[in-house]
Amino acid sequence: MKFPPGVRGLYERWLMRRLPAARQIVLNQKRIFIFPTGYGFFYLLVAGLLFIGGINYENNLILALSFLMASLFLVAILHTFRNLSALGLRNGTAESGFSGEEGALEVVLFAEQRAHYCVWLRWPGQDAQQVSVMAGEEESLWLNLFLARRGKTTAPRLKVESRFPLGLLRTWSYVTLDHYCLAWPRPQESEDCPADGGKNNQRAFTRGQTGNEEFQGLRRYVPGDSLRKIDWKGYARGRGLNTKLFEEPVGGRLWLRWDKLEGLGDEQRLSILCHWVLELDRQHQPYGLLLPGLTLAPDTGDMHRCHLLDALACYPEF
Amino acid sequence: MARIYQVPSHTRLWLTLAVTFCALPQLVKGPLWQSGLFALVVVIRALVNRQRMALPGRIIRSLLLMGAVALTFYSFGRLYGPEAGVALLVSLFGLKYLEVVSQRDAYVLLVLGFFVCATSLLFSQSPLMFLYVLLCMVLLTACLAGINHSDTRASGLQHLKRAGVIMAQAIPLMLILFVLVPRVAPLWNMQVGNGKARTGMTDSMAPGQISELSESSALAFRVAFEGEMPPPAQRYWRGLTLSYFDGRAWQQAIPKGMDKESYLYRGGGNKPDWMTALTAGRSDGNSYAYQVIVEPTQRRWLFAMPVPFVSDEGVSLARDMRLVSNSPVSQRQRYRVVSVPAATRRLPLAPQEEALMLSIPDDSGRRARGLAQRWRLDSDSDTAVVQQALAYFRQQPFHYTLRPPKLVADPIDDFLFRSRKGFCEHYASSFTFLMRAAGIPARVVVGYQGGEQNSLGSHLLVRQYDAHAWSEVWLEEQGWVRVDPTGAVAPERVERGLRAALEDEQSGAGLSGIELDAFAGSGLLGAMREWADYVDFRWQTWVLGYDSQLQLSVLGKLLGQVTPLRLAVTLMVSIALLLGVYGLYLFWRTPTHRQSSMEKEFWHLYQHVQGRGLRLSPGLTPSLLAESIAERWPRAAGPAHDWARYYQRSLYDPQQKPGKQQMRHLRGLRNRLCKLLI
Repeated sequence: MKFPPGVRGLYERWLMRRLPAARQIVLNQKRIFIFPTGYGFFYLLVAGLLFIGGINYENNLILALSFLMASLFLVAILHTFRNLSALGLRNGTAESGFSGEEGALEVVLFAEQRAHYCVWLRWPGQDAQQVSVMAGEEESLWLNLFLARRGKTTAPRLKVESRFPLGLLRTWSYVTLDHYCLAWPRPQESEDCPADGGKNNQRAFTRGQTGNEEFQGLRRYVPGDSLRKIDWKGYARGRGLNTKLFEEPVGGRLWLRWDKLEGLGDEQRLSILCHWVLELDRQHQPYGLLLPGLTLAPDTGDMHRCHLLDALACYPEF
Repeated sequence: MARIYQVPSHTRLWLTLAVTFCALPQLVKGPLWQSGLFALVVVIRALVNRQRMALPGRIIRSLLLMGAVALTFYSFGRLYGPEAGVALLVSLFGLKYLEVVSQRDAYVLLVLGFFVCATSLLFSQSPLMFLYVLLCMVLLTACLAGINHSDTRASGLQHLKRAGVIMAQAIPLMLILFVLVPRVAPLWNMQVGNGKARTGMTDSMAPGQISELSESSALAFRVAFEGEMPPPAQRYWRGLTLSYFDGRAWQQAIPKGMDKESYLYRGGGNKPDWMTALTAGRSDGNSYAYQVIVEPTQRRWLFAMPVPFVSDEGVSLARDMRLVSNSPVSQRQRYRVVSVPAATRRLPLAPQEEALMLSIPDDSGRRARGLAQRWRLDSDSDTAVVQQALAYFRQQPFHYTLRPPKLVADPIDDFLFRSRKGFCEHYASSFTFLMRAAGIPARVVVGYQGGEQNSLGSHLLVRQYDAHAWSEVWLEEQGWVRVDPTGAVAPERVERGLRAALEDEQSGAGLSGIELDAFAGSGLLGAMREWADYVDFRWQTWVLGYDSQLQLSVLGKLLGQVTPLRLAVTLMVSIALLLGVYGLYLFWRTPTHRQSSMEKEFWHLYQHVQGRGLRLSPGLTPSLLAESIAERWPRAAGPAHDWARYYQRSLYDPQQKPGKQQMRHLRGLRNRLCKLLI
């Protein structure tokens, strides 16, 4: 349905006030709307026709049948409402992505009191998904999200809908979870690495070169060590899990620096930094990041890369 | 893009059952080809569901549709009207079932199902039929629940259970609506004529007609008294008065020169003079209030005791004190009557009326005339003449029989002086003739006499074999007085009914062919019949007969004064209350956490220790509990720690699942510990 922008804005503001965002929301009567479906109206029409028929034929049983249909409808209001009431939704994890691509948000539905059948979740720009949650269980759904801009993309308003059990009524609620998906900057290639330290801090690295640090020795594996630094060959020979230690590179640590890209716009700077984060990660180089207000010490690995990308996405508010 | 919907497999069975059950009443009474069509549809559908064949294409479906329409036309000669219309609807219902693919199709099919259920109620309104329709409704609701449950793991039985719950909650609501929603007058008139032949009485009385009726035990009407019941000998249900005699048969007649309009009083407007006179007598003596539910006769006359006063619309009172329906009784009809026997004396006898009531054909009953004139000369009053006539019937060898010999020449003389064997119609006819011959205005009344009481419902059942004929004579000061000459010949006919009268007369020979259906004397079967009749009667009066008038009186008792506002408020409040109760039931049933046996064990000790006066903080672990015990009762330190250790081992050690033996051991440890807490 299309409304003029003014009305639409008023409606959005009213809805926002009425249904504020939260990390976890349990649907209750304040949040649930209910209205007959088209079929529900059709059904009532048929009940009305039977009523008229019962009157005209002076047939009390046909009248009773029409009353029974009306009563079923009334009882269905309670049952339809009940199917959505007390359904809980909360934030799950999020899958970040580069801006211009898609990320995903996880929404966890939990049923503390009773089972909820055939609940549809939809948000703009995506197919609705159907899920049933049994009593005392949780179900999670991934909802894809187009990431238009770098930064935090907040979860759009989610429509939770159900027609169960009879399809005569539709009950729905709008849920705004206080949940966001990070959009990393879109990588932008650049010749020069905006970095300090390391072996080649001026030119691009030669491809395929690994381990520009001096191997120092081994120590026992501690949970949390990067899997890339594990001495897998030794493990295969039965020497147990050990982690390789490296000496500091000669040229000191490699720092990607924000202030090395002076004269460019913020977004462009972030894009270039992003490109180099990915590039250095591919080369398994330890690297750190210096942003105004944030310093991330050099390291390698997936976790590290994600940290850096998230920091770039969040800039300037960490 | 939405998902491609298919009727879930767990719902298919319900859909098939619902369609079959809804259509069954029509298939049973409809033409045979319809059952064949349905069987075909169900078989095709079953094969399609099992993916043994593809869904029939558009061409085949169109052919089937055209075939169904053509066959309907062939069977009924038309496509409209109740029978043909319903047959067509049911065929379309079946064909719709054949092509159900999407959810929308299923919705349409189910709505058609509701319609088909309603049409079954058009032709039969028995309690069993309604129960059957309720069953169909449960199935349809189960289908609705099923097609809205697209989880493949759902089970079919779940739908039926859910439908049962919803239906059980809807039925009380339906009752509220049924009682409270105001009945509106029909917007346009529609009647389902069931095309049955006219049964019961005809509008003339020729010899042999009533004895024919006596062979049927079909129900004529039921009477429910709202207070005192008249004694059996007083239960004369007048149907018709016959005042014209042509020598053989008695017929209805309106006195010459009397206006047809003023002969019938339809209620309201200005009353004719006789009605004014009758109304004045309304409070004379005692009265009986009752309602009559008459079976369809396709005739206009109704039955009541004299003098009937009615307030129902559609029922008029005629000058001869009988009730006339404004349209032929084609369905069971119910009307309320207040009968005031003493009011007859108020009715005047107009000169034209008197002339008619004295008229007899010149060429019949010559000997009878002589007899009547002799009586006239011997007595000083009309009453004495009547007494003499009754004495004549009593003293002469008259015989009451259902199989009278044929009367040949003159029915009156032949009967009175030759055969002297006859049925009530013979007695009534000859008696009336004699009275007229003696100069007393008289007429024949036909109707029913007696009735069988249902001990459960205190209502009377009047059957066709209760049909009777008697006379009425007009006496000065008394008005029309009922005289039953049959009573003079066979008093048990009047006191105990036809069966009693015939028991004496015929021992088996003539009665064997007559089915005398009654409650009495048939043991368990009789009791069951009595119950069935009782249920049927209550159903008739309270459910089928719940019309605006009955509603008004019921609501009057409930609400005091019935105003639209009060009615609306009551309706709203009662629905809201009921829905509120359902709401409480549905929403406040929080899952109660059931304690495991281990938790119970812990709480036993916890409460015991608190009972001994030790304040414990909430959220203690078993070992902390043991420690608190040891602090307070150092003697019990060992057993307390033993208990805690064993408890924790039972709870957490995967090797040692808490079985019965462990629980017993734990309980033993606890008991030993508790003894030390002094």
